[in-house]
Amino acid sequence: MTLSIVAALPLWAVVTGEQLSRMLESLERNLLTPIPLCFVLGIVCTRIHGGIKIPKELYLSIAIFLLMSIGFVGGHELAHEYQMHGVSTIWKPALATLFLGCLTPLTSFVVLRYIGGMSIADSAGIAAHYGSTSAVTYAVANSFVEQTNHPANSFLPTLVTILECPGIAIALVLGAGLSSRERAAKATPERRHVRESKLYEALYEVITGQSIMLMAGLLVIGFISTMFMDDQAFQPFYEFFQSKGMLFRGALCIFLLEMGLVAGERLGDLVKVGPFLVAFGILMPLVHGFLGAYFGHAAGLNLGGCTVLAAIVASASYIAAPPAVRLTLPEANPTYSITAALAITFPFNIALGIPIYYEMAKWLGAT
Amino acid sequence: MHLYPLKLVTIVGETVIMEDIADEGLKLGATGYTLSEVIGEGSRSARTVASTIGAKTMKLEFVVPMHVAEAILTHVSHEYFEHYACIAWLADVQVVRGQQYIK
Repeated sequence: MTLSIVAALPLWAVVTGEQLSRMLESLERNLLTPIPLCFVLGIVCTRIHGGIKIPKELYLSIAIFLLMSIGFVGGHELAHEYQMHGVSTIWKPALATLFLGCLTPLTSFVVLRYIGGMSIADSAGIAAHYGSTSAVTYAVANSFVEQTNHPANSFLPTLVTILECPGIAIALVLGAGLSSRERAAKATPERRHVRESKLYEALYEVITGQSIMLMAGLLVIGFISTMFMDDQAFQPFYEFFQSKGMLFRGALCIFLLEMGLVAGERLGDLVKVGPFLVAFGILMPLVHGFLGAYFGHAAGLNLGGCTVLAAIVASASYIAAPPAVRLTLPEANPTYSITAALAITFPFNIALGIPIYYEMAKWLGAT
Repeated sequence: MHLYPLKLVTIVGETVIMEDIADEGLKLGATGYTLSEVIGEGSRSARTVASTIGAKTMKLEFVVPMHVAEAILTHVSHEYFEHYACIAWLADVQVVRGQQYIK
């Protein structure tokens, strides 16, 4: 508790009364919209044992649609950007994102291991979740900045794809390396070999997993078709996938409802994970979000772009990371990482984090 | 009709390890397996929600001779019981066309 207060002090020290009221206004603008409200409905429904049940096939179909949509629209906008400016506006944000993707698992690991006193496996397992990103948080952040009339730079989906892998890879290699001495005492050479092969298998599965294959694949398809199709023939595809469209926003509401149902079930685990992890799940995203907004601004992103980059850097993966961590670091307790990512950080970002990152980006001077 | 006395090895556990165990079972002498998604609750954690966030549970079944069953159960208990939510059991079964389950 003391730790949370001490860590929060520098943030509050720089917030003036006017900024605070603006922040509250942003919070209200974000909270009282269908997307976060559907998430809240899901949580409430689970807690009162209500009857909402999203069929698994629908949930999986929507996940596929959202990932395809993010990739396709991103590829389309990327092609426009490329036609107008070449790669001059993209390379700096891409490098900044790669740097942040490598930095966030390390900062998370250091905080968990040396401030939280958690085991190497648990620290690395949670760091893998926080080093990667959540595509749904991206979609919600993107909707938020579009509602505020500050749409993000067109190539942000490319940055989501860049951010997905390095964090998981770094944390798993770090965890597997540091805990190898602990394991060596009880592992036979044969078991050590099995464990090493699982690390490669896990990394391969992250890179070839659904999120990356759909987002990166559709990004390439969106890019190529924008470059080579005429506008009229391309239009129906764009209308189906576009993020401002009713199909995307409606699908996002259903997805968030399901996420709320799952997060609601995980709320009971908050007691098990303890106050340190609850504080970590809120404060670490704020630190990572600030770094995202700072480096995004330095790399030339606009206000919407800085906000969205901050949100994706601050978010934690709960789809790609858990199986990779289970395979590579089986001694890490999955309750810690999934509860922190899904029941603490995800709701925090959806409800409060995104408007805070928006104000951070404004405060840094992004326009 | 001739029935062959064989063993049914059933393993229920986390999705993330089940395909590996299926492959390892084949290497240990099984001629095939059945893998299905199930819903349940165990001592390690509740797995009642069949979502995509890694909380799924799967059931793996092998029909094998006794020596293969023992090899599979020994391997699973040695490699997976310590860190993964996993349960395994053995049952006697009478199998039609049982000769094809023996290598």
